[in-house]
Amino acid sequence: MMLAFDEINAKGGVCGRKLRLDFEHASSPAESVAAVKKLVEQDKVFILVLASGSTGAAAAADYVRQVGVPTYNLYGSTPIIREPFAKNVFHGAVVPVQVSAAALISMFYDGEYTPKKFGILAGTYAFPQATLKAAQDILGQKGATFTVEQFDIGARDFTSQLVSLQRQSVDSVLVLGSFSEAGFAIKQAREMGMANVRWVVDGSAVSTAIIPILGNADGIRGYYNAPAFPGQTPATREFEARLKKQLGSMPQGRPSVYDLIGYGSGYVVAEAIGATNCQLTRDNLINAWSNLKDAGPTRLDGLDITFPESYSPTDHQGVYRIGAAIVKDGQWQVYRVIDKP
Amino acid sequence: MLTELGFVVLAGIKFGALYALAALGLVVVHKATKTVNFAHGAFAMLGAFASFLIVVNWHWPYWAAYLLIPWAIGLIAAAMESVILRPLRQADMFTVVIATVFLGIAISEGFRLTYNTELLAVPSLFAGPPFIVAGVLITRDTLWVIAGALAAALACIALFSYGRFGRGMRAMAANIRGAQLCGYSIDRVYMLAWFLGGGLAGLTGVLIAPVTGVSIDLSIAIITAGFVAGVIGGFDSPKGAIVGGLLLGIAESVSAAYVSSAMKNCVSFLLLFLVLMWRPQGMFPERSGRSV
Repeated sequence: MMLAFDEINAKGGVCGRKLRLDFEHASSPAESVAAVKKLVEQDKVFILVLASGSTGAAAAADYVRQVGVPTYNLYGSTPIIREPFAKNVFHGAVVPVQVSAAALISMFYDGEYTPKKFGILAGTYAFPQATLKAAQDILGQKGATFTVEQFDIGARDFTSQLVSLQRQSVDSVLVLGSFSEAGFAIKQAREMGMANVRWVVDGSAVSTAIIPILGNADGIRGYYNAPAFPGQTPATREFEARLKKQLGSMPQGRPSVYDLIGYGSGYVVAEAIGATNCQLTRDNLINAWSNLKDAGPTRLDGLDITFPESYSPTDHQGVYRIGAAIVKDGQWQVYRVIDKP
Repeated sequence: MLTELGFVVLAGIKFGALYALAALGLVVVHKATKTVNFAHGAFAMLGAFASFLIVVNWHWPYWAAYLLIPWAIGLIAAAMESVILRPLRQADMFTVVIATVFLGIAISEGFRLTYNTELLAVPSLFAGPPFIVAGVLITRDTLWVIAGALAAALACIALFSYGRFGRGMRAMAANIRGAQLCGYSIDRVYMLAWFLGGGLAGLTGVLIAPVTGVSIDLSIAIITAGFVAGVIGGFDSPKGAIVGGLLLGIAESVSAAYVSSAMKNCVSFLLLFLVLMWRPQGMFPERSGRSV
């Protein structure tokens, strides 16, 4: 997002003003609430960006609804920040869990594969649990046979869960957790002889960082909240170069989808501000944002690396599209785009 | 059924061997200096991070990580003992222990600030096909981790039991004044103990890096498991540390597989309470009696 703001500011900013990003770090629900309160009450920010995951977004949900500050939820897929509807809260590239869960399940059927029995490995924390519920509903509606095993956040030993999946002869496993959890789970499964299993991982695990954990990650699928993976198109390659220049060096696993979304979201914020006709009140911003169509970097000469975002006064979910990704020859790539599955 | 149990026990032994090595590092420092080194997990994390740098960033061969890192972390630990903890020895033991806690936090936060990422992955040492024993697949990496950790632990015990260095540490543990009168230097023995403890932490880090990756959580995971394994075995007993580590690893794995995966985390504390209630001195306490 900082990269996007730097680019926009270099071109003169929006409404004659430069965009400034104030940042508060938070790594727990309590810290998230404290950070949000500080940004709103002390720093008096014009727009609040929730750039944490579901846990932070869920913790801040009641507060942002109460104070009415324009809020942009970048990464939280949890229903807690989405329901009930709030006119000041907008959701960007990360889709609701019902959409991502449907996309995940659909990937098990790609390439004429017919799953016989599903296993779900889910983290016990907020966002995997939300997706788990949605996935269970979908599998239930399909009449599919499935079994669920859970693990704690940061788990590295999955022997017990995998033994159970092996005992039940599952041939298709959905992993709901981070790339590190998914990576070590799949690595251990292979060490236990679980070959010929189709692995589909949650979007948070669709990262280049999962590949060095596994060595050979070919065939693993998952959803991606952008139309192309870094390196897959000229625009994403250019983004990678610009980000590397800004960061100095590129850490393992980056650019991640969060980098891409952050960049695209920076441009959406600028476009929403511009749509107020420079009458910069919070009410004007909320109204203008609620009517944005196909917002994103391309209109302001940014790089076309995210799905465009469209809003309406009654629907503040900007994106319903999702990329289906697969590892081929050691590289993630989006192989098809799913429109609101 | 037996194959399944084999997988579960093997996974337990693999993690248990790493816990044992971590516990041994704690025991070595405690035995010689009567200090519980709460920075031990951070030293191991530093070792894992160093192996990431060597193997992934610099593309050096793996053996360089095994050769260099234990020495490097040992030297860092010895330097920290000399510079930070030695002056604190004038105060009470509690001050030194608290200092190790904050030393560990400082190292972990330093890592977070310099490499702010969720996880750094380190590739496995071996890529060949696994061995199959009675239906149980045993990867070369698993064998290497188990054999490497246990061999290092046994070598350390031999050094401790038979070498001059080990005699010095045991003498210090038994009676500091008496050891000094016998010609042992407190500063030298303490520094050597920290060097050895740091070296073991470094080796733990190199061995564990491909198994769990490198993250800031590694520091807490290692110190917790090492501490519990040390207490189970008897905090002054190197042999106890090995048995405690293996017992903890197998108990975690078996309980998670056959009771509930939620048991994995609480079984270590359950074991700790049971041992403390049954044998507060640990399962293999060092003899404190004297023959006259």
